[in-house]
Amino acid sequence: MSGQYHRPHRWAWFLERPGYMRFMVRELTSFFVGGYLVVFLITLARLGGGEAAFAEWVAALASPGWMAAHIVALVAAVWHAVTWFAAVPQAMPIYLGEERLPAPIAAIVMGYGPWLTVTAVIVWWVLR
Amino acid sequence: MSAGGVSGGRGGRPARPSGEAFWWAVFSAGGVMAALFVPAFVIVTGFLLPSGDAAVAAERSAQFAAAAGWWPVKLVLLGVVSLSLFHCGHRIRHTLMDLGMRGASGLLKLPCYGGALAGSVWLGWVLWGI
Amino acid sequence: MPAQDTMTLEIFRYHPETDSEPRFQSFEVPYNEDWVVLDAMNWIKDHVDGSLTHRWSCRMGVCGSCGMMVNGEPKLTCAAFLKDYYPFSIKVEPLVNFAVERDLVVSLDGFMEKLQAVKPYIVRDDVNDTSGGEYMQTPAQLAQYKQYSMCINCMLCYAACPVAGHEDEFLGPAALALGHRYNKDSRDQGQSERLDVMLMGEAIWGCTFVGECTEVCPKHVDPAGAIQQAKAGAAQEYFKRFVAPKGAGA
Repeated sequence: MSGQYHRPHRWAWFLERPGYMRFMVRELTSFFVGGYLVVFLITLARLGGGEAAFAEWVAALASPGWMAAHIVALVAAVWHAVTWFAAVPQAMPIYLGEERLPAPIAAIVMGYGPWLTVTAVIVWWVLR
Repeated sequence: MSAGGVSGGRGGRPARPSGEAFWWAVFSAGGVMAALFVPAFVIVTGFLLPSGDAAVAAERSAQFAAAAGWWPVKLVLLGVVSLSLFHCGHRIRHTLMDLGMRGASGLLKLPCYGGALAGSVWLGWVLWGI
Repeated sequence: MPAQDTMTLEIFRYHPETDSEPRFQSFEVPYNEDWVVLDAMNWIKDHVDGSLTHRWSCRMGVCGSCGMMVNGEPKLTCAAFLKDYYPFSIKVEPLVNFAVERDLVVSLDGFMEKLQAVKPYIVRDDVNDTSGGEYMQTPAQLAQYKQYSMCINCMLCYAACPVAGHEDEFLGPAALALGHRYNKDSRDQGQSERLDVMLMGEAIWGCTFVGECTEVCPKHVDPAGAIQQAKAGAAQEYFKRFVAPKGAGA
């Protein structure tokens, strides 16, 4: 129908609500996690290049720049995990008869529990 | 809001079942993998390996090398890292679409999924050589 | 008697026959603690400007007609109390992400078409055969979809969804949640027909789980959760059809 008014396109829509900003922060973790995965691939490639090449690479990673980058990567990876586990009970409800498993319990069973286990095993493996 | 989604696709094309179902499934599996494993990977390669004195670094590096050289770990690494790469690729693509690159949704598949595929193939080749 | 306290409402006005662009008009309304924004709008229409155009019906959060942007937030105006904004002025606009017909009235055409597309009713082959009696359902089966059946089609979720504003192919929160509600109903047999529609283009996949639809829903439907569950169902169906194309088997 003619005469309708259409609002102009809002390119900066993600600034309009706090929820949109939280969404954008969550989505942006993928850029940092992806960037870290490339570094992880390089680390494994250097491992394939022999002991000397790997030691050289590990020594380079001790620089303040790489430390800072890894702090950013860790924050992004942890935030990805936290937001993912918050979404799991919403996206995969578990019903016990008529009752839905409460979200905090579902997040622990399907998220935080396995997460802590995996992290503990990996860290223990390298430190033992 | 117009009614383009019901009778037809973007630009008057008829909408058709998209491969999005497949990419979403991979994205979801990768999201779980990235959540469970990547923080631990960062702790190990970002902080545990490069800190401490040379002797400690050498000892931890040896543990890391031994783990990464064991074939069950290689399989886990291949699965976890490649799914996580596709997770990131999919999320980056949709973030760019939400930021206004909707018209390039098809074109974005090339760098996003192509990059994840290239990374996965490279990882397979690297793990084969360790 | 002390002078009656007042409040200011800044209202979005647009009359297509005289306005090429919308404008805002301020109205002074009596302040009553028990008034909602809708009461103030109706007072303006009755006492100040009869040309003010807005939808409303039940005044009790059931009909879903009076959704508007109140200070930028999608709200049922029958549930937005003046006292929560007093003494500051209140800006009232039509729901965003919809074309505006007149003042606060938005076009429902696209929404209605999307709603119909997901067949929001029970689909059965034996619909004309009542010999079997009622379709029985256990409380546990009811629990699977009850939350998603509370939708009143107020469209606040569309106003809160950035994807609904940018992607025409996207069916949107309420329609997808309602489609999921019937897919989860043990009495329904229409899942495959609904997934035909949901699997198209960006119909469901446009959703990036921003989650604000759930935040603004006055009926606690959680469309965001419903859509993620529906995606999992749609992906399963996609792989099933990939292995055994529809129409190829028995």
